[in-house]
Amino acid sequence: MSTADPLGQVFSALADPSRRHVMDYLAARGTATATELTGELPITRQAVAKHLATLAGAGLVSSERRGRETRYRLTVVGREWDDRLGALRDHLDRRKET
Amino acid sequence: MIRREIVFPVPREELWDALTEPERLEDWFANEVEVDLRPGGAASFRWSNGEERHATVTTVAPEERLAFAWDDEGEVEFTLSDDAEGTRLVVVETAPAWTTALDLQASALAHVHG
Repeated sequence: MSTADPLGQVFSALADPSRRHVMDYLAARGTATATELTGELPITRQAVAKHLATLAGAGLVSSERRGRETRYRLTVVGREWDDRLGALRDHLDRRKET
Repeated sequence: MIRREIVFPVPREELWDALTEPERLEDWFANEVEVDLRPGGAASFRWSNGEERHATVTTVAPEERLAFAWDDEGEVEFTLSDDAEGTRLVVVETAPAWTTALDLQASALAHVHG
Protein backbone atom coordinates (compact mmCIF):
# COMPACT_ATOMS: atom_id res chain seq x y z
CA MET A 1 0.00 0.00 0.00
CA SER A 2 1.26 3.44 -0.85
CA THR A 3 1.64 6.17 1.75
CA ALA A 4 0.82 8.70 -0.96
CA ASP A 5 -2.88 7.93 -0.45
CA PRO A 6 -3.37 7.90 3.34
CA LEU A 7 -7.14 8.27 3.23
CA GLY A 8 -7.41 5.37 0.77
CA GLN A 9 -5.28 3.35 3.15
CA VAL A 10 -7.67 4.12 6.03
CA PHE A 11 -10.73 3.18 3.98
CA SER A 12 -9.29 -0.06 2.67
CA ALA A 13 -8.15 -0.96 6.18
CA LEU A 14 -11.73 -0.46 7.38
CA ALA A 15 -13.35 -2.27 4.47
CA ASP A 16 -12.80 -5.68 6.06
CA PRO A 17 -15.34 -6.82 8.70
CA SER A 18 -12.71 -8.76 10.70
CA ARG A 19 -10.61 -5.63 10.99
CA ARG A 20 -13.64 -3.67 12.15
CA HIS A 21 -14.19 -6.34 14.83
CA VAL A 22 -10.58 -5.94 15.90
CA MET A 23 -11.16 -2.19 16.24
CA ASP A 24 -14.43 -2.66 18.15
CA TYR A 25 -12.66 -4.96 20.56
CA LEU A 26 -9.80 -2.52 21.08
CA ALA A 27 -12.25 0.34 21.58
CA ALA A 28 -14.04 -1.63 24.30
CA ARG A 29 -11.00 -3.03 26.10
CA GLY A 30 -8.42 -0.32 25.66
CA THR A 31 -5.58 -2.69 24.73
CA ALA A 32 -5.20 -6.31 23.64
CA THR A 33 -2.55 -8.76 22.50
CA ALA A 34 -2.81 -10.72 19.24
CA THR A 35 -3.48 -13.84 21.33
CA GLU A 36 -6.39 -12.20 23.16
CA LEU A 37 -7.84 -11.04 19.85
CA THR A 38 -7.51 -14.53 18.39
CA GLY A 39 -9.63 -15.83 21.27
CA GLU A 40 -12.34 -13.28 20.44
CA LEU A 41 -12.53 -13.69 16.68
CA PRO A 42 -13.24 -16.73 14.52
CA ILE A 43 -9.94 -16.38 12.66
CA THR A 44 -6.41 -17.70 13.07
CA ARG A 45 -3.68 -15.93 15.01
CA GLN A 46 -1.80 -15.49 11.74
CA ALA A 47 -4.80 -13.69 10.21
CA VAL A 48 -5.13 -11.50 13.33
CA ALA A 49 -1.45 -10.52 13.04
CA LYS A 50 -1.95 -9.62 9.37
CA HIS A 51 -5.03 -7.50 10.16
CA LEU A 52 -3.15 -5.69 12.94
CA ALA A 53 -0.30 -4.93 10.55
CA THR A 54 -2.76 -3.47 8.02
CA LEU A 55 -4.48 -1.35 10.70
CA ALA A 56 -1.09 -0.15 11.98
CA GLY A 57 -0.04 0.73 8.41
CA ALA A 58 -3.12 2.93 8.12
CA GLY A 59 -2.27 4.65 11.40
CA LEU A 60 -5.38 3.34 13.16
CA VAL A 61 -3.67 1.05 15.63
CA SER A 62 -0.36 1.32 17.46
CA SER A 63 1.63 -1.28 19.34
CA GLU A 64 3.67 -1.20 22.49
CA ARG A 65 6.02 -3.89 23.79
CA ARG A 66 5.58 -4.72 27.44
CA GLY A 67 7.97 -7.43 28.58
CA ARG A 68 7.41 -10.43 26.37
CA GLU A 69 4.10 -9.33 24.91
CA THR A 70 3.05 -6.74 22.39
CA ARG A 71 -0.14 -4.84 23.19
CA TYR A 72 -2.20 -3.03 20.57
CA ARG A 73 -4.50 -0.06 20.98
CA LEU A 74 -6.45 2.41 18.87
CA THR A 75 -4.14 5.27 18.05
CA VAL A 76 -6.40 8.23 18.54
CA VAL A 77 -8.24 7.18 21.68
CA GLY A 78 -6.54 8.67 24.68
CA ARG A 79 -4.25 11.07 22.89
CA GLU A 80 -5.54 13.69 25.30
CA TRP A 81 -4.20 11.62 28.21
CA ASP A 82 -0.81 11.22 26.54
CA ASP A 83 -0.57 15.02 26.48
CA ARG A 84 -1.79 15.41 30.07
CA LEU A 85 0.59 12.77 31.42
CA GLY A 86 3.45 14.40 29.54
CA ALA A 87 2.52 17.69 31.24
CA LEU A 88 2.38 15.93 34.62
CA ARG A 89 5.85 14.48 34.05
CA ASP A 90 7.20 17.96 33.21
CA HIS A 91 5.49 19.37 36.29
CA LEU A 92 7.13 16.75 38.55
CA ASP A 93 10.52 17.34 36.89
CA ARG A 94 10.26 21.09 37.48
CA ARG A 95 9.53 20.51 41.17
CA LYS A 96 12.59 18.27 41.49
CA GLU A 97 14.87 20.94 40.10
CA THR A 98 13.94 23.53 42.68
CA MET B 1 -12.05 2.77 27.50
CA ILE B 2 -8.74 4.55 27.79
CA ARG B 3 -6.01 3.08 29.95
CA ARG B 4 -2.56 4.52 30.48
CA GLU B 5 0.12 3.28 32.79
CA ILE B 6 3.22 5.27 33.62
CA VAL B 7 5.92 5.23 36.32
CA PHE B 8 7.06 8.56 37.75
CA PRO B 9 10.38 8.77 39.65
CA VAL B 10 8.74 10.36 42.71
CA PRO B 11 7.31 9.10 46.03
CA ARG B 12 3.59 8.31 46.24
CA GLU B 13 2.89 11.35 48.41
CA GLU B 14 4.41 13.69 45.82
CA LEU B 15 2.34 12.20 43.00
CA TRP B 16 -0.84 12.23 45.11
CA ASP B 17 -0.34 15.94 45.87
CA ALA B 18 0.19 16.69 42.17
CA LEU B 19 -3.11 14.93 41.40
CA THR B 20 -5.21 16.48 44.15
CA GLU B 21 -3.98 19.95 45.16
CA PRO B 22 -5.56 22.71 43.06
CA GLU B 23 -2.39 24.82 42.89
CA ARG B 24 -0.46 21.76 41.67
CA LEU B 25 -3.16 20.82 39.14
CA GLU B 26 -3.03 24.38 37.82
CA ASP B 27 0.56 23.73 36.76
CA TRP B 28 -0.22 20.76 34.49
CA PHE B 29 -3.91 19.91 34.10
CA ALA B 30 -5.90 23.12 33.71
CA ASN B 31 -5.47 26.87 34.25
CA GLU B 32 -7.96 27.28 37.08
CA VAL B 33 -8.86 24.41 39.37
CA GLU B 34 -11.17 24.04 42.34
CA VAL B 35 -11.48 20.68 44.11
CA ASP B 36 -13.47 19.67 47.17
CA LEU B 37 -11.52 16.51 47.93
CA ARG B 38 -14.11 14.16 49.41
CA PRO B 39 -16.63 11.74 47.94
CA GLY B 40 -19.48 13.82 46.53
CA GLY B 41 -17.27 16.91 46.45
CA ALA B 42 -17.35 19.22 43.43
CA ALA B 43 -14.43 19.90 41.14
CA SER B 44 -14.15 22.44 38.36
CA PHE B 45 -11.52 22.96 35.71
CA ARG B 46 -11.10 25.97 33.44
CA TRP B 47 -8.71 26.30 30.55
CA SER B 48 -7.30 29.43 28.95
CA ASN B 49 -9.17 28.65 25.70
CA GLY B 50 -12.46 29.18 27.54
CA GLU B 51 -13.25 25.49 28.01
CA GLU B 52 -14.75 24.63 31.37
CA ARG B 53 -15.55 21.20 32.82
CA HIS B 54 -17.17 20.14 36.05
CA ALA B 55 -16.87 16.87 37.91
CA THR B 56 -17.92 15.14 41.10
CA VAL B 57 -15.33 13.35 43.22
CA THR B 58 -16.37 9.72 43.75
CA THR B 59 -13.41 8.03 45.49
CA VAL B 60 -10.66 9.43 47.71
CA ALA B 61 -8.22 6.89 49.17
CA PRO B 62 -5.10 8.97 49.99
CA GLU B 63 -1.99 8.00 48.01
CA GLU B 64 -3.89 5.06 46.55
CA ARG B 65 -6.96 5.89 44.51
CA LEU B 66 -8.77 8.95 43.24
CA ALA B 67 -11.82 8.87 41.03
CA PHE B 68 -14.21 11.46 39.68
CA ALA B 69 -17.14 11.55 37.30
CA TRP B 70 -17.35 14.28 34.70
CA ASP B 71 -20.72 16.02 34.89
CA ASP B 72 -21.07 15.87 31.11
CA GLU B 73 -20.00 12.26 30.67
CA GLY B 74 -17.47 9.65 31.68
CA GLU B 75 -15.43 8.67 34.68
CA VAL B 76 -11.73 8.98 35.44
CA GLU B 77 -9.87 6.80 37.91
CA PHE B 78 -6.26 7.22 39.07
CA THR B 79 -4.60 4.31 40.90
CA LEU B 80 -1.18 4.70 42.53
CA SER B 81 1.11 1.83 43.49
CA ASP B 82 4.73 1.31 44.48
CA ASP B 83 7.29 0.61 41.80
CA ALA B 84 11.03 -0.05 42.05
CA GLU B 85 11.59 3.20 40.15
CA GLY B 86 9.10 5.39 41.94
CA THR B 87 5.33 5.40 41.75
CA ARG B 88 3.18 3.69 39.14
CA LEU B 89 0.12 5.58 37.99
CA VAL B 90 -2.71 3.88 36.13
CA VAL B 91 -5.29 6.17 34.54
CA VAL B 92 -8.55 4.73 33.27
CA GLU B 93 -11.20 6.86 31.61
CA THR B 94 -14.51 5.35 30.60
CA ALA B 95 -17.27 7.08 28.68
CA PRO B 96 -20.37 5.07 27.75
CA ALA B 97 -21.33 7.04 24.68
CA TRP B 98 -17.98 6.97 22.92
CA THR B 99 -18.44 5.25 19.65
CA THR B 100 -15.84 3.63 17.52
CA ALA B 101 -17.21 5.62 14.60
CA LEU B 102 -16.33 8.94 16.21
CA ASP B 103 -12.91 7.73 17.24
CA LEU B 104 -12.31 6.43 13.75
CA GLN B 105 -13.24 9.72 12.18
CA ALA B 106 -10.74 11.53 14.39
CA SER B 107 -8.14 8.87 13.73
CA ALA B 108 -8.56 9.05 9.98
CA LEU B 109 -8.25 12.85 10.05
CA ALA B 110 -5.16 12.69 12.26
CA HIS B 111 -3.58 10.21 9.87
CA VAL B 112 -4.36 12.28 6.80
CA HIS B 113 -3.16 15.55 8.32
CA GLY B 114 -0.34 14.11 10.39
